[in-house]
Amino acid sequence: MSHEVALMGDMLNIVAEDMQKHGLSKVEKLKLRVGTLSHSVPDALEMAFEIHKAMKAPILTEDSALEIEVEEARAQCVICGHEYVPDHRVALCPNCGVPGGKLIAGDAIRIVSYEGV
Amino acid sequence: MAEIILSQDALASNNRAASHNRQLFEQYGVLVINVMSSPGAGKTTLLEKTIEALGDRYRIGVIQGDLATQIDADRVRARGASAAQINTHGVCHLEAAMVNKVLPQLDLEALDLLFIENVGNLVCPSGYDLGEHHRITVLSVPEGNDKILKYPVMYLRTELVLLNKIDVLPYFDFDVEQAIEDLRTINPKSRLIPLSVKEETNLDEWYQWIDEVYARWPKAVG
Repeated sequence: MSHEVALMGDMLNIVAEDMQKHGLSKVEKLKLRVGTLSHSVPDALEMAFEIHKAMKAPILTEDSALEIEVEEARAQCVICGHEYVPDHRVALCPNCGVPGGKLIAGDAIRIVSYEGV
Repeated sequence: MAEIILSQDALASNNRAASHNRQLFEQYGVLVINVMSSPGAGKTTLLEKTIEALGDRYRIGVIQGDLATQIDADRVRARGASAAQINTHGVCHLEAAMVNKVLPQLDLEALDLLFIENVGNLVCPSGYDLGEHHRITVLSVPEGNDKILKYPVMYLRTELVLLNKIDVLPYFDFDVEQAIEDLRTINPKSRLIPLSVKEETNLDEWYQWIDEVYARWPKAVG
């Protein structure tokens, strides 16, 4: 949990920097895309967002909203080219059965966009 | 009001700090290995033994990451390595900026190898690049072989797994063959070395791995 709080702090810093360039000061909505194989879960990020609000993060208000889009992990087999949704055996291709899969999506957290005033 | 598209990795600032660290390490010719594991898997004892065994061959430094205390740094200092301690004060992983902050405590010019002992945790440390050149994970027999499948992201991003405490294999249901097989289905490029730090079993294979990666490292030549 402390992990998501720190991560949210980093993201708010990135947003704050960008807002300054646009002459904005408060976030109305922040949109994130969170991969299912990133090391964070939406619930914990939402809680972290609320914690930063409670800690009076300068760019957040009571009404600032967080929108999280979950990105399904995807892997592609380097042997047969098959694309699949990996389970815990990330590299194991369900088509050819060879562990030759590489993760191509779903391992990151991205700040997609924000709306501010 | 308009939506402003950022499309930035949440870890962008960490990644920038990590590249900066890596540049520094390369400038000073220090090969850096990030050591991760659960708490109690034996990271510090492994590093103590490694310093003893390889201290003649390499000038070794250690950065210790812990929630609190200096205990680990004192332990490796006692073996003759230079050490810096990071206390994360509750944060569950090391970040590149934390590493950067303690670098002045180490004389990088006088080092060949630097181990960064991450906070004991199989989840978050895997997400943070610290500027290292290699990542290894210590897994110990009492934890069980299911840890590999339960924490796939950790094993996806590690190139070497040291399976520690094999001296207690007779007392646990740890299936070594299954662990090797599971690791292959997550990350076919990684390798597993079974060893016992305490009994000093098979440590040579680990030392050989260090020699290999060091010899392969372009900076070591110049």
